Amino acid sequence: MPDLIIDNKKIQVAKGTRVIDAAQSAGIYIPRFCYFAELGAVGACRVCAVKFIDGPVEGIEMSCMVEAEDGMVVSTDDAEAVDFRRHVIEWMMMNHPHDCPVCDEGGHCLLQDLTVAGGHGIRRFSGKKRTYADQYLGPLISHEENRCIQCYRCSRFYQEYCGYKDLGVMGIAQRIYFGRYKDGVLENPFSGNLIDICPTGVYTDKPSRYTGRKWDFEQSSGVCTTCSLGCSIRVSARYRQVVRLEAGYSQAVNGAFICDRGRYGFSWVNSEKRPRQGRVDKKTMAPQKAAAAAAGRINDLEKQYGPGAIAVAGSGRSSLEALAAWHHLCQIRSWRGFFFDDLAAGPGAAAAVSGLSRENAVSMKAVESADMILAVGADPLREAPMLALAMRQAWRAGAGVFAIDPRDLEWPFAFRQVSAAADEIPGLVSGMATGNGFFENDSRHGRNMAAIRDQLAQSRSPVIVCGTAAGGQATVSAAAGLVQWLRKSKKDARLFGILPMANTFGGILLNGKPGTPEELIKGMESGQIKALVAAQSDLWKTCQDPDRLDRALRRLEFLCAADCVATELVSRADIVIPVFSVFEAGGIYINQEARAQWSQPAHAGGTPVRITGAGGHPPRVIGAAIPGGGLPPAWLAAWQIAGLAPPDSHEAMMDWMTKAYPVTAPVKTMGSEGVRIFPSQ
Amino acid sequence: MGLWLTGYAILMFKIGVILTGVLLLAAYLVLLERKLLGRFQARIGPNRAGIFGLLQPIADGIKLLAKEDVMPRGAHRRIFLFAPAVVTGTALLTFAVVPMGPDLHLGGRKIPMVVTDMNVGLLYVFAMASLSVYGVVLGGWASDSKYAMLGSIRGAAQMISYELALGLSIVPVVMLAGSLSLVDIVQAQAGRPFVLVQPLAFVIFFVSAMAESKRIPFDLPEAEAELGSGYHTEYSGMRFGMFFLGEYVQIQVLGALTAVFFLGGWRGPFLPGPLWLLAKIVLVVTAMIWIRATLPRFRYDQLMDLGWKFLIPAALINIVITGFVMVGI
Amino acid sequence: MRKWVWIVHSLCTGFYTTLKHIFRGPATELYPEYKRPLPARSRARIILTADPDGRERCVACYLCSAACPVDCISMQAAENQQGRRYAAWFRINFGRCIYCGLCEEACPTSAIQLTPSFEHADRDIMKMVAEKADLQVNHCGKDGNYNFYDHAGVADAFRPKGGHANEAPPVNVRTNMP
Repeated sequence: MPDLIIDNKKIQVAKGTRVIDAAQSAGIYIPRFCYFAELGAVGACRVCAVKFIDGPVEGIEMSCMVEAEDGMVVSTDDAEAVDFRRHVIEWMMMNHPHDCPVCDEGGHCLLQDLTVAGGHGIRRFSGKKRTYADQYLGPLISHEENRCIQCYRCSRFYQEYCGYKDLGVMGIAQRIYFGRYKDGVLENPFSGNLIDICPTGVYTDKPSRYTGRKWDFEQSSGVCTTCSLGCSIRVSARYRQVVRLEAGYSQAVNGAFICDRGRYGFSWVNSEKRPRQGRVDKKTMAPQKAAAAAAGRINDLEKQYGPGAIAVAGSGRSSLEALAAWHHLCQIRSWRGFFFDDLAAGPGAAAAVSGLSRENAVSMKAVESADMILAVGADPLREAPMLALAMRQAWRAGAGVFAIDPRDLEWPFAFRQVSAAADEIPGLVSGMATGNGFFENDSRHGRNMAAIRDQLAQSRSPVIVCGTAAGGQATVSAAAGLVQWLRKSKKDARLFGILPMANTFGGILLNGKPGTPEELIKGMESGQIKALVAAQSDLWKTCQDPDRLDRALRRLEFLCAADCVATELVSRADIVIPVFSVFEAGGIYINQEARAQWSQPAHAGGTPVRITGAGGHPPRVIGAAIPGGGLPPAWLAAWQIAGLAPPDSHEAMMDWMTKAYPVTAPVKTMGSEGVRIFPSQ
Repeated sequence: MGLWLTGYAILMFKIGVILTGVLLLAAYLVLLERKLLGRFQARIGPNRAGIFGLLQPIADGIKLLAKEDVMPRGAHRRIFLFAPAVVTGTALLTFAVVPMGPDLHLGGRKIPMVVTDMNVGLLYVFAMASLSVYGVVLGGWASDSKYAMLGSIRGAAQMISYELALGLSIVPVVMLAGSLSLVDIVQAQAGRPFVLVQPLAFVIFFVSAMAESKRIPFDLPEAEAELGSGYHTEYSGMRFGMFFLGEYVQIQVLGALTAVFFLGGWRGPFLPGPLWLLAKIVLVVTAMIWIRATLPRFRYDQLMDLGWKFLIPAALINIVITGFVMVGI
Repeated sequence: MRKWVWIVHSLCTGFYTTLKHIFRGPATELYPEYKRPLPARSRARIILTADPDGRERCVACYLCSAACPVDCISMQAAENQQGRRYAAWFRINFGRCIYCGLCEEACPTSAIQLTPSFEHADRDIMKMVAEKADLQVNHCGKDGNYNFYDHAGVADAFRPKGGHANEAPPVNVRTNMP
């Protein structure tokens, strides 16, 4: 544990900590362009120079390249160091264009900040500026190479961290160029992070080009609801429209990056088709009135056919609050039940949830330090992309990666695959645990399975990643069994289940055994279910046989949809109640690791000005009422549809939920990293 | 019977003429003050209503009449409504004893150019001046506002203090004239105005008169910078107008009294008596405006020092000296 | 005694000074009859000027709206046919504007400028809300020859990369020649 002094502060840090990080842990920010904790240090930009006054190293050195050692005395504000940094910035600005006003990075640009902080205002160099031709990098990222300061962050991220080769550095001397060999769409599904890590405006966000400056945005820290990982995101909204998502920082989940699916998969929020007005039999009205109408019809049907004729379909798109509300209402009204779409998308989800415990759960960040990873029926790159990136980091650190999967997998790192059929997988996995060893005689998988077993035997902290979609319940149970067996043999084995939706865990946690969509469809076909409430349900999307679903839906007497997305069910519904999405109402989401996280609302809600105003022009006279505003959050709509008096605020809702479902009690005390909730608690 | 009626008719006529004249003059003194102040400050002054702004007082009057009459919620209704009338009324009543000119002989009748020639006219003047303090105190108290209250307390203290000096400064005049009647005092100045024999009394009287009328540099009761507007902070519309009018009538009264006591009243060559009086009033008021344009407001302790430690002793000494001189002669 | 001399002397000086003013004549002007010519840098009605070549100067960088202490400027940036950033709409609420000139100071392209024209009060507040068309003029205002795009180094339909003031032609990354 080296002891050192930085700016007269005594600091003790772990061995191997770089001086730049040691300073940051003491609250001293040393400027940097090339250094990025996740990407490591290369010492390319020279702007983190500090003065080493005493100790093993002396003089001006790059703080990112020197590891902290005992007896070091460092000064970050030594006149010599400050002067050095000032000159570094000045020479970087020699070729930097004069285009901050038209650059989207302006306002949250590291180079801009440090140039201002360094006091470099007037260009002294009178020579010509170097220029570069830009490239087309696809519809998501614009490229303006003139602005580059050669920090190498992009090429290091792209090639080393992600393992994709189509963007990199070329040229020599004064002509270093970061880009592709030729124009073309970037292949890396994490390429959006280039925008975040670029310290200046070489890579900028194309969909939100010129939409606004950072200071004009309403910003919130949210949770990505695109997959079950629950990555942290920064949401920027302007004029009632979500403009841009950026990676948030989460020590336990995603670190500093997010995938492109999460970054760009939000266009539905701003969609013109999104339901924004209540609808009763093709007549539009206020959402509250539509909900009251729905409550009336459900009451009538309940009187006519009994409560068993009413069903609710929901999905893991909903927040924990909404799921709790629906589950509770189904129970107290003795309705037929709450049917969970996610069980169609991930048949193994229930097993993945019940198999998880405080001991064997693993955060995505911890996957990076596993020494062996076995993916069972899982394709992280498609189902939970950031997990693939975490697995790559483990692989870079020397972990062996194995996959047992029938599909043709393509991951950005080397791995060994056992191409077993889906129904073979449970046997192969549990075979390792039970030690049957039958696969020694298996001509197809024998050798590979033996390799996996040997590797497992050598490993100390293996992670078993299992998908819930392809393998189904048996695979998940087998994987959970394997983890249990490994833990019994004194290994720190962990289970990482990939769930189909952002809040699948929450739905199953509250309910234990929610109804499956199959049961729901059967109920509708048999005519027992007369009324269906589709509460943010993706039934149509997850159903394998749309024709059958279509026929089943036609037998219903009443279909009500409460949703923030224009789904097929919404367009078919007799009564539509529009609700606020997670960006407007916020919500709690529980990821696959049982980590409940609060997603902050980004703005107050309402139809985007882009849609309400002519050409995005806000009205000249602005009234107090927000057009398209005042929709209920999903949980509130649940109460309204049930015709009961709802809790009168989100706080009251949380109080109610933690009392009605004691398992959710920890959410009241969760911090910025969330809190883990296990079903066994 | 007929004689009696004619007497009344003449009296009423006199009162009517004086009231009209005084109110009209008050309005135009405002204009004079604004115009003069403008020139003192290198500005133009009001010039939009009529030529040279001559209709400005009428415009102001209409404006004040048309304004909403606001009363604070906690105000004492009756006193609040009554107070402005006290200020204006007492000021107007003082004019009853001011002689406007020599007696007029009309159709064998002797018509004195004064509403009433009281033998204790001087005491009457001071009685009225004392009563006007009530208007200020009641108005400030009834407003239920701390600014108004502080203003009225200051006003009461200041007016009572300076009334002493005012009264004492007149004693030598009374001694010289040998009468308390204002008509007699004017008569006594037939040879030379008293300002020549009693310059010190004149200065004391003039300074005290300015303090009585609460004008800059003695405007502590309505000091804008610290009290909003002092005792009439809460008044608006014509009720504020009454305070305003009262102040200017008071200035006239004090101008007239200065003229009567020291400048020979209506006496003067060539012109008829009333015009001389008018000219002297305007002269005194112009001097007051000049002082207003020049001097800043007193501090409270300076105000009290000046009144009690300087003006009153000086007035007393003046009385003693006058007495000695008179006995000596 | 000296004190008294001083008192009388200073009183006389004061009264003499004020008296002098009476004969000095007014320094003020009668406003609507006589309009004093204002200096070019007086701060009143805001305009959006044009480049010397007649094109729109404003690049909708949002700096004026950020600098505005009363939040009276709003706009939306967009990209036009020529690849230039411009304001799709631009609005100044003169009912709110305090004419402080911070927007003009913040403007990197000399587009937004304050002019001496101050007579635009109106009883209808909506007439005080100026849109882009109300603000645009076809001259350069106070800054006669500055053209942001000469220096910015961004390629557009009018000039390619490397075609701006003090720029070298684009680098050929595929050569190893020094």
